[in-house]
Amino acid sequence: MTESLHYVGKRLTRPDVAAKATGAAMYGADLALPGMLIGRILTSPHAHANIVSIDTSKARALPGVAAVITHEDVPKRYFTRSVMAEGMPPFAYEGENQDQFILSEKARYMGDWIAAVAAVDIYTAEKALDLIEVVYEPLPAVFDPEEALKPGAPVIHDRWQGNVAAVIEHPFTRGDLEKSLAESDHVVEFSGRNSRQKQAHMEPDVALARWDEEGRLTIWSPNQNPHLAKKTMARRVFGIGEGKVRWISTIVGGGFGARMSFGVEPVCALLAKVTGKPVKVVLTREEDFSGYNSRTEQRQTIRLGVTKDGTVTAIEQTILSDSGAYFSHSGSISAVNMQSTLGLLRSPVVAGKATVAYSNNPTSSGMRGYGNPEGSFVLQQAIDMAAEKCGMDPVEFRLKNARGVGEPSMWEPVLLDSCNLDQCIKLGAERIGWKDKWQGWGTKKEGRLRRGVGMSIMTHASGAGGFLLEHSNAILKLHEDGSAQLTVSPCEMGQGILGVLAQIAAEAAGLRYEDIHVMSGDTDITLFDIGSHASRSTYVIGNAVVDAGLKVKEILLARAAKRLDVTAGELKVEDGQVRVKADPARAVSVAELSHDAIYEYGTDGQHITATGTYQSVTHCPNFQAGFVEVEVDTETGVIKVLRFVIAHDIGRAINPQNVEGCLQGGAAQGVGYALSEDLVIDDKTGKVLTDSFATYKMLSTLDMPEVEVILVEEPAPTGPFGAKGVGEPGMTNVAPSIANALYDAVGIRIHSLPMTPEKVLEALQSNRT
Amino acid sequence: MTKEIATFIVNGGEYEVIVEPHMLLIDVLRDKLGLTGTKYACGAGDCGACTVLIDGKPSFSCLTLAVTAVGKSITTIEGLADGAELHPIQQAFVDKGAIQCGFCTPGMILSTKALLDENPAPTRDEIKSALAGNLCRCTGYVKIIDAVEVAAETMRNGGQGS
Repeated sequence: MTESLHYVGKRLTRPDVAAKATGAAMYGADLALPGMLIGRILTSPHAHANIVSIDTSKARALPGVAAVITHEDVPKRYFTRSVMAEGMPPFAYEGENQDQFILSEKARYMGDWIAAVAAVDIYTAEKALDLIEVVYEPLPAVFDPEEALKPGAPVIHDRWQGNVAAVIEHPFTRGDLEKSLAESDHVVEFSGRNSRQKQAHMEPDVALARWDEEGRLTIWSPNQNPHLAKKTMARRVFGIGEGKVRWISTIVGGGFGARMSFGVEPVCALLAKVTGKPVKVVLTREEDFSGYNSRTEQRQTIRLGVTKDGTVTAIEQTILSDSGAYFSHSGSISAVNMQSTLGLLRSPVVAGKATVAYSNNPTSSGMRGYGNPEGSFVLQQAIDMAAEKCGMDPVEFRLKNARGVGEPSMWEPVLLDSCNLDQCIKLGAERIGWKDKWQGWGTKKEGRLRRGVGMSIMTHASGAGGFLLEHSNAILKLHEDGSAQLTVSPCEMGQGILGVLAQIAAEAAGLRYEDIHVMSGDTDITLFDIGSHASRSTYVIGNAVVDAGLKVKEILLARAAKRLDVTAGELKVEDGQVRVKADPARAVSVAELSHDAIYEYGTDGQHITATGTYQSVTHCPNFQAGFVEVEVDTETGVIKVLRFVIAHDIGRAINPQNVEGCLQGGAAQGVGYALSEDLVIDDKTGKVLTDSFATYKMLSTLDMPEVEVILVEEPAPTGPFGAKGVGEPGMTNVAPSIANALYDAVGIRIHSLPMTPEKVLEALQSNRT
Repeated sequence: MTKEIATFIVNGGEYEVIVEPHMLLIDVLRDKLGLTGTKYACGAGDCGACTVLIDGKPSFSCLTLAVTAVGKSITTIEGLADGAELHPIQQAFVDKGAIQCGFCTPGMILSTKALLDENPAPTRDEIKSALAGNLCRCTGYVKIIDAVEVAAETMRNGGQGS
């Protein structure tokens, strides 16, 4: 399959980008329907409060207002905002707390949704919000997950007394932990916590909803998981059949995990239902920052036991996660953290446990890396500490202990059949100049500006094959002119997946890349797929596309064989032509075959089309090593990233330009996560203080360090043309490698993200005393 | 509030629009003229997604009162391509992988145009400074800066300039 590739591996122009360059690309907020109303949402000014009464009469009386709704008007059906819950097997679904209504009957965080209006325009809708009179009874609130779990803490959900949202045991816990640690030559322990990083997609949250004459609901929104969103909306939110909902995911103006959850879709759909008109809701940036969705804050402790020669004998991870006011993704993120963190190194003894607490903070959600950047910040520092105890080079320690081919993957029943982490580590170390720059443990550096190097490694699944719902479908249909329609489900959220799948289809079927048009996002047209997340689309959907492509090719070969009077085995399809291998001048074009198959007046009429499917049973993990050189200003506490080197085991890069883009963009989010991005919440009121791009500090062009990408390409046996995933991993190694470089430079360890100048100075000062 | 009919000069064409004093330029462009390529992302001038050119200068349309732009020459992203022919900046963004989700792209391209109109041969640092007000969450800026360098070279070598 991989000899003489025409399109795979090439830097081809993506089909979606020209329209984005001219402004023609339509995002959710750009859509409009005749008679459309504008919806707005009233949010709670209290972090925790009972609603005593809501008077909507004045708002309803305002000319131009079509509807005002409160919790009294919503279906009394609990759901979870995480649409991924529908992808869980039944036993796991039980653990996905269904704890929300479309509008809340009680305020559980500052920004909780209390009422909503639909009006002729945004000005009228805003005025109507001001006219809604809510009487609140403020309740004591809790903003710290440890406090929330203490006896006597305010109870946030009556059905979850003690605010224990979930307790999750790592499924691959084994061995006698305490005995093993006691017998280890060295034991290191490191605790740390991540920040509530915001996805901060540039496109604000948006939905457009309409119920038609048949009672079907159509929703346009930038959701990453249209089929699961459709099911959640139908079955959980409204209690109607899945066939009653058509979900059209628009171009996604940045996902990063936020759009694996419902945003404004449920309230938008209800407003459309009660008004009988199309309704559009767009959030403001302030609402996005102060509302739902951020990385889940996880407080973790890692204990590692090692022998003198640097062999890991035991590893334990304990996690306390802050779900915020509603459950959303916080349980599964904690579980995935343990899989990624505890599944990286070889260890005979493993223990992991996560507790998820409710609090009155804004609700968290999935975010790029989904537990992996949370865990790696703690694990990779613990690894360096263990290496130091053993007097080993961090590079050597990792090479010695990382799992490889033939060993269990992070989901242990699956064995690794492709792993080039060793290569990544060696090439990355060489590129950064590790041998010269890393001068050994305890090297004392002098001067105000001190340099250091650090590293980190990771593994990340390419989808959840082997443990969650993970099959996918693709339809490849030929037009009369030989061009083709590829219908697939994943959303184009910037990663370039539509172009990648077109490259795969062209390669597999023997068509020309420029002849393939890709459709996606509409659940009435596409076949089932769980969506764009988990670094899965290239791997899982790509395999379904290969299947469809090969089936189309087979049809073309059979029809061409008849026409050219040869056997199918004597033919090959490439670049839109079917040729006799031994005599390439004897050929028939795909266009001719396709046209004549449809306009066949005899007995052999056919519209050439095929449905491809793929059931992933291995999640084909990808691997990566990250290396960084930093310069620390010991007077200001500022950490400057001089160079970041990423070596990624991609299997095969279908389009290297996209892969680089994913890794560079991931690195930018990683540096922000490491050094500056933090959703700061006032611990007295629960107000989000960083509710703008001015106060929530993402990297600008001026802050972005040099990033060097090394792609390690050795095709994975199960990948489409050998490809593995890359969507999320760009950011995972950044924060831990910077943390380790900081230690190398100035001998301090920071226990919480972001590693701000204040924290660095404080640690430097306490180090001196 | 007094409504008035005002004439806006957008991408070389003249348009009469009923405006109210509080209306923002972004609302006139998007809602009245259907030029939805101009993006709303923060409403505070923090991110640059709504950037348009007013008399050649990059401006935040989400902070600009519409009435203040009357009679001035406004360029939006829809005004750059020459028919089906992309402007060299657009072409460079397409070719160099500088576009991912695309939401920051119109603002990024217009800020680039303002830079290159003034400085046809910017250094990498000058490019970074010129684009510092345009946030991108996808790319890490590497390929955007590469694209600006390519666009500058194309335009210096006689590619379509304005």
